[in-house]
Amino acid sequence: MNERSPRTIPDITRRRFLQGSSLVGFSAFLAACSTPGTGSAAPSTAASASAPASVEPVASPSSVPQSPSAELNFANWPLYIDTDADDETKHKTLEDFKAKYGTTVKYSEVINDNDEFFGTIQPALQAGQDTGWDLIVLTDWMASRLIRLGWVEQLDLANMPNKVANMQDVYKGVDFDPTDDHHAPWQSGMTGLGFDTVVTGELTSLASLWEANPKWKGKVTFLTEMRDTIGLTLLKLGKDPTQAAQADADTAIAEIQKAIDAGIIRAFTGNEYAEDLVSGNVVLAMAWSGDILVKQAEKETLAWHLPDEGGMLWTDNMLIPKGAQHKYTAELFIDFVYDPPIAAQIAAYVNYVTPVKGAKEAIAKDADPDVAALAESPLIFPADDVLAKVKIFKTLAEADESYFNDKFSAVTGN
Amino acid sequence: MNVRKRLIALTPYLLLAPGILWLLVFFVYPSIQMFISSFWSGTLESGFTASPDNWTTYTKALDRYSPQFLRSLVYGGAATIICFLIAYPLAYTIAFRGGRYKNLLLFLVIAPFFTSFLLRTQSWKIILGDDGILFGPLKDIGLLPPEFRVLATPAAVIAGIAYNFLPFMTLPIYVSLEKIDGRLVEAAKDLYAGPWRPGGTIAGGVLGALVGAGLAAALSYDLIIFAVLGTLVGIVVGTFFISQSFLRIVLPLSLPGVFAGSLLTFIPAMGDFVNAEILGNTQTRMIGNVIQSRFLENNDYPTAAALSFILMAAILAMVAIYARVLGTEELTSAR
Amino acid sequence: MSQAVSSGAPVVPSFALRAGRYIHRNVLYVYLLFAILYLMLPVAVMALFSFNDPPGKSNVAWHGFTLDAWLNPFGVPQLFDVVQTSVGVAFISTIVATALGTLIALALVRYRFRGSGLTNTLIFLPMATPEIVMGASLLTLFVALGKPPFFPTNFVTIVIAHIMFNISYVVVTVRARLYGFDRHLEEAAMDLGANEWMTFWKVTFPIILPGIMAAALLAFSLSIDDYVITSFTAGRTSTFPIFIWGSARVGVPVQVNVIGTAFFLIAVGFVAITTFLQGRANRPTQPPKMKEGATLPSPERTLAPATEA
Repeated sequence: MNERSPRTIPDITRRRFLQGSSLVGFSAFLAACSTPGTGSAAPSTAASASAPASVEPVASPSSVPQSPSAELNFANWPLYIDTDADDETKHKTLEDFKAKYGTTVKYSEVINDNDEFFGTIQPALQAGQDTGWDLIVLTDWMASRLIRLGWVEQLDLANMPNKVANMQDVYKGVDFDPTDDHHAPWQSGMTGLGFDTVVTGELTSLASLWEANPKWKGKVTFLTEMRDTIGLTLLKLGKDPTQAAQADADTAIAEIQKAIDAGIIRAFTGNEYAEDLVSGNVVLAMAWSGDILVKQAEKETLAWHLPDEGGMLWTDNMLIPKGAQHKYTAELFIDFVYDPPIAAQIAAYVNYVTPVKGAKEAIAKDADPDVAALAESPLIFPADDVLAKVKIFKTLAEADESYFNDKFSAVTGN
Repeated sequence: MNVRKRLIALTPYLLLAPGILWLLVFFVYPSIQMFISSFWSGTLESGFTASPDNWTTYTKALDRYSPQFLRSLVYGGAATIICFLIAYPLAYTIAFRGGRYKNLLLFLVIAPFFTSFLLRTQSWKIILGDDGILFGPLKDIGLLPPEFRVLATPAAVIAGIAYNFLPFMTLPIYVSLEKIDGRLVEAAKDLYAGPWRPGGTIAGGVLGALVGAGLAAALSYDLIIFAVLGTLVGIVVGTFFISQSFLRIVLPLSLPGVFAGSLLTFIPAMGDFVNAEILGNTQTRMIGNVIQSRFLENNDYPTAAALSFILMAAILAMVAIYARVLGTEELTSAR
Repeated sequence: MSQAVSSGAPVVPSFALRAGRYIHRNVLYVYLLFAILYLMLPVAVMALFSFNDPPGKSNVAWHGFTLDAWLNPFGVPQLFDVVQTSVGVAFISTIVATALGTLIALALVRYRFRGSGLTNTLIFLPMATPEIVMGASLLTLFVALGKPPFFPTNFVTIVIAHIMFNISYVVVTVRARLYGFDRHLEEAAMDLGANEWMTFWKVTFPIILPGIMAAALLAFSLSIDDYVITSFTAGRTSTFPIFIWGSARVGVPVQVNVIGTAFFLIAVGFVAITTFLQGRANRPTQPPKMKEGATLPSPERTLAPATEA
């Protein structure tokens, strides 16, 4: 018959190629002539900063009486809220909130990386549309970017007496939110050294990360969080991350490159280092304090230590994205978690630094002696001398941020 | 009558229309769109504008990311070769020695495909762990040095890619081999029976050298020693197992399958980033990782789009060259 | 070997030669065994670890055997939703892509028409394009469209993307089956009086059905397992592969292994059943039993005698 011989891949002859390109050309012509400015569908801050497409009028305190909604869409990082030991879908704090206000909190642990999550909400925010989230938790530098872009709802502090009263002083008046009405700290944490004591012994200095010790050479990880890695590197070099400038970026990058060239660094990771510490593929890492505490349940020999040279302090913050459908309920939730007993409940599980005053006393009063003992934990309630040694990375301007990011991407192989 | 004839003439177009339309709208048009976006300049916060002057994005992207491009080429190529080496004997055995069990064996080859490839790669991470079930015991008995590792090296990434695409290589080769008339092979065996001829030995030696060199490069061991060892092993294997009838008849006839299989393997392999992410480290990043992070994390659409197009162009160019090279050979083989 | 033949006497091969030939014959089988083991190894590990009893979240080391995860496969938050989403997407995209692709395959194989070469190229292109390029360009399209249901990206956009990349694979699979199809059967049917429509449904379609089923199975597997393109077009929605990727950072829950193994077993079972049914359908049918004493009508009696007054 006239069946051609069966071939899974057709011949790429010159004729076919020309046909193909003419098809492409035709479509290009269509594209160019179609809706004006598909190429210049330019996301512009002007459009998004002004009137967003779907917006809830910011309720002035005494005008419209509001009631909590039936649902609240809350996106958070993994392992960041108290979870029932037997049923991972149950969180007592969320159940308490429902008991008080009747709202079902739809909790999603979808945030694994600030940039990644930002990538998922950015298109909607750019177009001035609802992202689908009422409450999100992002690290301070990403929160700063969102606030700068005008993509965050202004909080009505009249709805949040607890937050106003109980937020620790150290978090007040940050440079990216001087009036404290665009963000609310969720948890805070420290970046330091995480290691397996059986393999490495007790380590106390950042210099260990640059040491080509056969016990851990090739089993060391740094973090993909630029501010943590560069921050710790600057501390190791004796510089101050709170004053980081572009010249510091170059020095830090050169230092990191030395560790790469010496074959010490295995990889740059996000949270994955914790799993690798458990499996033994990694024995020394730049680590977040709470992660190690959690993983100690699986591998008792893991330990976390704040380096002698100092560590980094960072805060993960609750934000209400612009255009959120349930803004009032989100504000109620923020206020709810700033109630000391609730904050204690969360802190007891999460093991990070809680921003709520009075949580320490609330934990000390807990009926369970193991929980009460956490009141003395230096990782959850660091003493003032510890807090003195941790530094917050400087909030960078856009141009500086690009410079740092580009240099860091180059060295991490991105 | 006229209407009926018209309708019949139109039938193929009617049949094609829905599917082709879908592809045009959701494949061709977005590709054009992305091509345009590669000429954008600006940032997320200040807005993007298109301008033909921005062709510099391409040069800058090539300049900055040429290591990752090269890596994708090398890893993809190496994975394809490994895949070929593993898949060809496999397809050969099933086609010529499978008998009644051909379908079952083919099914076993495809079966891993029915599980999530992410889970399979995760499983490899467990298997290949530094002190895992594979290397742990070997290290304990002293066969391997304690700092030996495969994870977070190019070797792991290449091995992962090769494993994931094995069915894609095996099936086309099998289809090609199965079509070969058994009588041709018998005739060839009769023709070429007799004293030893160098074909198999040379083929074996060359392959062995390549495999040895590859292993050495992947695991950062001494190149010369491995290459020599590989050649020796290859020579032995080649002399005894690669016959003239195979080289002269079976291999050329199976080339269309090899061609299809290597394309189906190499193309996705070049764009892969999952294996590099799970099994590799920052020094093994491939161009796929870069495109993903440029797009989703840095919102650097122009660069991401430019890189995607360069990747596409590179692939199409290589496909065209490959088609030329293998296409002409195909004409001269006994088909 | 040849020199022995000419003398006429039987040749007894030496032991070395016999051993060599034995190895030669069987080495391929050994290789086959190892290759299959190699292919199955990660699947086995995945299944094994679904019975693991880790103290925490990381499922990377063996701790002990337990059926807990199997008894409570959806105990992890969101897992049920993502599996549901994945299966839903796979179902819809499979049905649509198989329909569209089969039509295209029919057109390509049965008809000569202008632009067939172009169509071939267009079908080939998605298979030649890296997934990351396709995903990124689709996202750009959806962002440019800016309006629901295309934006913000969601279930609908995932389905659209999956249909797009599945069409090519369906076309290739069905086309392969169509090539082997004997047109004479159709001609015979039409000679016997069937019109084209009836011929298609009663003759053509049942014969190419295995090819269509194979294409559907392929499309379903590709859809359910897709990560790259889905990650670009999913937005807030999460599918099973996206869930795995995300949870790989903190520790893949044991239940994920359970679901993965379950999918595997279901797919294997499905193929096994269809093969079995096909085998039964292909068995030669028995001729109808004849009654006692009956005889076949003889030709002379049935044909009307040519010359009878």
